Amino acid sequence: MILDLARCMAPELVLITGATFVLLAGALAGDAGRSLGRRLALATTAVALALVLTAGPPETPRNLLEIQASGLSGCVRLIGLSVGLLILLVNGYGPTPEERCERLAMILYSLAGLLLTALADDLVLLFLAIELVSVPAYVLVAISRGDIRAQEAGVKYFFLGALSAALMAYGFSFLYGATGTTVLSAISLRPEATGVRIGLLLAFAGVAFKMAAVPFHLYVADVYEGASAAVAGMLGFLPKLAGLVAGIRLLMLLPGEGSGAVWVPPLPVFAMLWAVAAATMTIGNVLGLLEGNVKRILAWSGVAHAGTMLVALLVGPQTEGGPMRDGSWALMFYATVYGAANLGAFGVLELLEAGGRPAETLEDLAGLTRRHPWAGLALVVCVFSLMGMPPTAGFVGKLWVLAAAFSVGDGHPQRTAMLVLGVIAAINAAVAAAYYLRIVAACCLPPERAPLTLRSGTPGLRLGLVACGLLAVLPGLWPAGLLPWTRPDPLPGGWPTGKGIHAAIGSGEPEGKAHSAETGRQAVCPSHAAAAMPMSAGHANPAVELVFNPPCAFSPHGPGPR
Amino acid sequence: MSASILTLLIALPLVGAVAVAAARPAHDPAGCIRVGRQALAWSLGALVLAALAVYLFLTTAEPGGTGLRFEAPWVGGPGGPVDIRFHVAVDGLSLWLVVLAAGLLPLCIWSSFSAIRDRPRAYYALMLLLESGMIGVFCARDLLLFYVFFEFTLVPLFLLIGMWGGPRRHEAAATFFIYTMAGSMLTFAGVIVLAWLAWSLPPEAGGVGRFTFDLQTLYDLRIDPAVQWWLFIALAAGFAIKVPLFPFHTWLPLAHTEAPTAGSVLLAGVLLKLGTYGFLRLSLPMLPEASVALAPLLAGLAVIGILYGALAAWAQGDVKKLIAYSSVSHLGFCILGMFSLRPAGLTGSLLYMINHGLSTGALFLVVGMVYERYHTRAFDRLGGLARSMPQMAFFLVLFTLSSIGLPGLNGFVGEFLVLLGTFTSADPAHGTPAGPLGVAYAAFAALGIVLSALYMLSMCRRLLFGPLRAPLETPDRSTGLSPDLTGREIGVLAPLALACVFLGVYPRPVIETIQPAVQRQILDVMGAEPRQADPGIAGPAAASPWAVSSAEVADPPAGAAAVCDATARATPEDMP
Repeated sequence: MILDLARCMAPELVLITGATFVLLAGALAGDAGRSLGRRLALATTAVALALVLTAGPPETPRNLLEIQASGLSGCVRLIGLSVGLLILLVNGYGPTPEERCERLAMILYSLAGLLLTALADDLVLLFLAIELVSVPAYVLVAISRGDIRAQEAGVKYFFLGALSAALMAYGFSFLYGATGTTVLSAISLRPEATGVRIGLLLAFAGVAFKMAAVPFHLYVADVYEGASAAVAGMLGFLPKLAGLVAGIRLLMLLPGEGSGAVWVPPLPVFAMLWAVAAATMTIGNVLGLLEGNVKRILAWSGVAHAGTMLVALLVGPQTEGGPMRDGSWALMFYATVYGAANLGAFGVLELLEAGGRPAETLEDLAGLTRRHPWAGLALVVCVFSLMGMPPTAGFVGKLWVLAAAFSVGDGHPQRTAMLVLGVIAAINAAVAAAYYLRIVAACCLPPERAPLTLRSGTPGLRLGLVACGLLAVLPGLWPAGLLPWTRPDPLPGGWPTGKGIHAAIGSGEPEGKAHSAETGRQAVCPSHAAAAMPMSAGHANPAVELVFNPPCAFSPHGPGPR
Repeated sequence: MSASILTLLIALPLVGAVAVAAARPAHDPAGCIRVGRQALAWSLGALVLAALAVYLFLTTAEPGGTGLRFEAPWVGGPGGPVDIRFHVAVDGLSLWLVVLAAGLLPLCIWSSFSAIRDRPRAYYALMLLLESGMIGVFCARDLLLFYVFFEFTLVPLFLLIGMWGGPRRHEAAATFFIYTMAGSMLTFAGVIVLAWLAWSLPPEAGGVGRFTFDLQTLYDLRIDPAVQWWLFIALAAGFAIKVPLFPFHTWLPLAHTEAPTAGSVLLAGVLLKLGTYGFLRLSLPMLPEASVALAPLLAGLAVIGILYGALAAWAQGDVKKLIAYSSVSHLGFCILGMFSLRPAGLTGSLLYMINHGLSTGALFLVVGMVYERYHTRAFDRLGGLARSMPQMAFFLVLFTLSSIGLPGLNGFVGEFLVLLGTFTSADPAHGTPAGPLGVAYAAFAALGIVLSALYMLSMCRRLLFGPLRAPLETPDRSTGLSPDLTGREIGVLAPLALACVFLGVYPRPVIETIQPAVQRQILDVMGAEPRQADPGIAGPAAASPWAVSSAEVADPPAGAAAVCDATARATPEDMP
């Protein structure tokens, strides 16, 4: 049984063990220890990634620790570890002589927390996993620079984060009180109950803090500005994705509404998330317009992007229509592309020194493309991807998210609301273009002001930037290359759920039966029965699915070669 | 060959851009010209391919049909839920616009040899990128591909204006980019909803049960008129800003004034046409009911734009601004003719796009050449230039007359057809059930022609005639320019002048391609009945070189023939 568990959790165990050894290696004397720690950190992530890619379909041990492998956890593992590798590369060098690989160890712990968030099948474990993402992040912010502002940012982040964690734990306790169990797959929430409503509200407050959504977004700019740029790049991905994944996990405890193959959260939850998404996009972008510091601009833009991802989250998993309708698929694609582009943009800032200090403001970037064309190109490409200009990856991500919002269909009880939200998202994309353009303009148009230099001795950072730049462009030219990897399988077992949606999975019934329970949800309108079949019958007929199959396809229960 | 030529045509400038960007750095004027020559070679290569494409299209495609098609899956495929393709083809509507883009580019690059002394590799690479994007828009037959190219053109032009523009270049570039992007985001929303309709509509209404952006599939959709209205507004948001239609034109004068010469040429010559082409290619055939219903609104805005643009141009003290406002006025004619929804108006509109590209592009080039010597474009500091630059004066007057629409030069043909289509648009006797416009539109638009003669000729008078006035220490000969035009500059302008005269005297080959295409690709798709030959308009087919007799066009749409005949009839009294 323990072996089963170990096999099922192998990537997470490798990460945590590796992180501990990285800390130990960093304690060795001098540069040798640091370089050993660096290599160890990269190797750890690579091994974990290899495990994810090669592991067979995991069985689900239910009576040890409560974990539940699913299409979502497989997808989050893949995305998290791949972008995590880039984060490690970008953070790979020690900025201060006293630094002893704590940074890399903390990133590894945080990464493990992200993977566990998708895997947890228990409210307590879910809470611990989310905190495992956040606590190393507090440390990272504080130790990332020898600057007083980093200390300040760390303290600010820690206290607000502790408050949000407390809110979330309080909310979880309400959920436990309402249902009498902490096992997620056994929970089916009734949103009418007051306790459940309070619990969900508090839990979502914690989630909103992690993903930097309004009204818990106020810390973002100060924290990103205080932290070193490379750490800020990491903050834009790991906690945000962890928050989104936790949000998915909580939403899936609710019974879906809507007819046909459409998944819709109950109206109060829908209304709350709708308002949060609209406000997050709009407020994030407006705040971004007002800033002159690139790190703060990118921070507020991260808030806006969280809003866009909330749009996809609100659409949720849909079983037909591929990435054009499946909000979960769009969400994962968008998060990957955003994570890479954001990391790349911050990475270039980390690489640059204007007049001997880290480049931060728009003025600092003046003349970048002229002085350092490659660094300038990386920044411009990443910013265009964040902006969503074709033919970058960001454009395709935007396409999936907007398409998911616009194509919820007539079966959706809040169809008009989704259309309006889609239009708000589209207009916000244009608003965001205004401040992204200021970054592009700053580094392309005016002549150099302060002497811009590149930090030396940063091969890992440069390699990471090349990878981020490629990830910002290639999926735009060839979306089919990234699409299959970001697909949380929407079929049975693909989503970790409570009893509310498909109880058959939780009780471990054979796949066939679970599948029929799933197809029962899909009362497709008759005229589209033929069109709908390919996706809904994807498992029965793998040939049809080939269109989106990766070289190493996900099995219904997680990643692994078919 | 004929299948891959358009792909090659799109790819060649891209490859050229990379090659130019990777060239040896240039530190002196000679180096800049070396880089420029390299870019010129690439763009000439693209022009050769474009000429080849014209030849292949004219020899292989049936009249009014689509040719040189190439399709490859991009995302998904026909079996899956998503089917996005790399799908390019040309027809009579896009062929000449492709040629316009491919033809203007070498001239723009050649004209920049003396002006660009700063970062030449980036400059020429961006020009080639822009060419690739423009040609891509005109060739795309997949809506998403169209949008990708449409949006992509913003990036190189933003950088061209922002890096090599005038003193207020940063502001101009940002205004241009954000204004256009804001509109095109709504277009993007419309594009997505169209794909969703292809997925969700029942088969009786043309739905195919998958998300597809294939234009032909989208043409076949029968969309609820209420939805069409919304979609039309969404698509028009992007296109109207691009055109620019009054009152969305405010970005244009600044962008034109601040852009480097070649940027202005391409902006006026090709990029504004992306908007009108978008209306023509997407809005009309996909949303016919909404197009008919909203035609009076758009035509009304177009007429206001014609008059407003003309009056504003008249009042300008800067030559480039004057030409910029004249573009607002002229593009109004394109929209007006298009929404007459008559074969004559549509043909004229398309022809007007090409003519405007030639003559306004050329005017910007001439003004740029003056500016390089005198470093000012203000009327109160320049005058009597015909004395110092007689060759320039010749070209300026020629292109001015072409822009006004003097018969015998290219501008006239398009203008006439646009007004003809507008006049006859609502006349039930002419078999137009959907004729949305009336005589009043044409009457006011014709007033715009008078105004255009006023401001364009007064520009010539102020700039060319009277006593010589120029700033001190000019003309500037530090860049190796002679007082009057150099051989290179004449070489840049001469092809445009020849094209203007040729299209004015013998527009038949172009009209002959456009007309059947307008009928088959737009009007037939819109569901209009095949029109009867119109006794009121169709005169005897004169033996003028303009005339296209019905026998020459295989399967001639009657309405199209009527247009030609009408054009022909107009010839004798208007030809000088």
